[in-house]
Amino acid sequence: MSKSSASIETMPGSASGNHARGWLAASGADYLLAAVLFALPFLIGGSWTFALGICFANSIGVLAVSVLVRYGGEVSIGHSFFAAVGAYAVAILDTRYGLSLVASLPLALVLGTVCGVAFAWPSRKLSGIYLAVSTMALALAVPELINNADWLTGGYEGLYVSQSVIPGVEASLQRYYAGLLALIAVVYGLRRLRHSRQGLTLLLAKQHPAAADAFGTRQVWARIAVMGISGGIGGVCGAILAFAGSTVSPSSFTFWTSIFLLVGSVVSFYGLSLTRALVGGAFLTLVPQFLSASGAWIPVLYGLALLGMILIGHYLPRIRSFLFASKGGA
Amino acid sequence: MDGTANALTGRGLALSFGGIEVLKGLDVEFRAGEITGLIGPNGAGKTSLFNCLTGAYRPQKGAITYLGHALDGLSPAARAGKGIVRSFQHVALSPDLSVLENVMIGVARNYHAGWLHAFLPTRRGTDEMAAMRAAAEGALSELGLAGLEHKLPSELPPGMLRLVEIARAIVGQPAVLLLDEPAAGLNNSETRDLMRTLRKLATSDLVMVVVEHDMDLVMSICDRIYVLNFGAIVACGSPQEVRANQEVVRIYLGDDDD
Repeated sequence: MSKSSASIETMPGSASGNHARGWLAASGADYLLAAVLFALPFLIGGSWTFALGICFANSIGVLAVSVLVRYGGEVSIGHSFFAAVGAYAVAILDTRYGLSLVASLPLALVLGTVCGVAFAWPSRKLSGIYLAVSTMALALAVPELINNADWLTGGYEGLYVSQSVIPGVEASLQRYYAGLLALIAVVYGLRRLRHSRQGLTLLLAKQHPAAADAFGTRQVWARIAVMGISGGIGGVCGAILAFAGSTVSPSSFTFWTSIFLLVGSVVSFYGLSLTRALVGGAFLTLVPQFLSASGAWIPVLYGLALLGMILIGHYLPRIRSFLFASKGGA
Repeated sequence: MDGTANALTGRGLALSFGGIEVLKGLDVEFRAGEITGLIGPNGAGKTSLFNCLTGAYRPQKGAITYLGHALDGLSPAARAGKGIVRSFQHVALSPDLSVLENVMIGVARNYHAGWLHAFLPTRRGTDEMAAMRAAAEGALSELGLAGLEHKLPSELPPGMLRLVEIARAIVGQPAVLLLDEPAAGLNNSETRDLMRTLRKLATSDLVMVVVEHDMDLVMSICDRIYVLNFGAIVACGSPQEVRANQEVVRIYLGDDDD
């Protein structure tokens, strides 16, 4: 794991002639996709509505990892920890106090952020492989922590999430739209961040820490801020995962969960747009569902799909410039 | 106000790395209202002195004061908060940000809207960004870079990137401006424009220090010049005095017949 140099606006390797135009195009695709997603439950079956709800939650988790790469230049293989914090916040408030997602989602966000900051402080001097491995410690600890606190978490059996957000509305629609709205809100917040004072300084701190320091942005502040944001989004991922899946258990937050969130982030090329996040989320949720009839071939086909996505992403700018050059020459 | 009253001073600054003395007990005084040049061969210690003044390096001996207050122990970010800013020998712009956004960072320390304003469309956050944008556009315009606001650094030649760095340094109306080789990579016309701009910036309350190898620029715009060699001050004085100094001529200007 090494520091990422991926551009914040463009695909890897893109020539990026006019990044403002690229941003507008990305926004247009996002708006179109959002419109389609809002109408989708009325066009597809219940199992797909459920799967898409989970997909939205995973897309938020992918964004949590991608924001760390984009703004901190670091990778994490421990984000299942933050997701677990958010998920259990929702499940515990639901089962013990009868509170719905409306009350528990903000708590999940706050707890995820606090955990991110709490992790960032002692690891503030770590980077690259050392930070990545230290995040792994979080992921490895999660299932055991949950199992050992069974008086609170329900242990191995987990907890059910049953409170409605809007009583009277069909549960499957609630799960779908809660996930979609949360995903859009996270994408919107990140888009705002990109154009905020804090976002600009974090991006300079990632690339040139000394220069950022010379203009008033301390490296420690930058690291803690990015980890806090990433942890907070991870908490929201967990909250939506709990609500959309209606159950939480330790098996949902293993080391492999963290690895797959990183895989989702990589196949989305660390994108922070709705479209890119959904590419990552779909890779975690929908691709395994498509391959579910393939039996023993599932890992092989999943690996091929992963390789294919990465190669397509890598060569897409060249293919695009080749096509445009051909058009220009014709 | 007398320039010496709000000067940036270093007394007995000594810095060494692994036994190699980079700065050997330097005494320097950079006065407000003046442009001070810092010249010397490569490895003389010019950038190391800059790094000590901005807090990137901690000198093992000596003290740095500004407006009579000790800066020792303050981080670079804290010194930036006091208006001490710099440009870098190697351009340090974010490739992810447009030219305008890179320059906006130079004024960011003057604004304090919290995180809520970063994520939500609040009036305060919007006003803050508009003010930063206007200041950055003004700085770019002052350096003749209007029209390049939305370019990425990767789309500009090295000379222009240097000017963008200077725009970032001046946009926050610094109290102390430290420019490390500002003319490197500029053509003659751009260097002349830069000289005019720097002279215009040299107001009575600004401490400006320029490290530069372009002798025409240094001799034209500087009021005082320190000449460094092997971490020690060889000469200090007006451009005329420095030019007439035989030691300086021998070590640095020896092959300049002009």
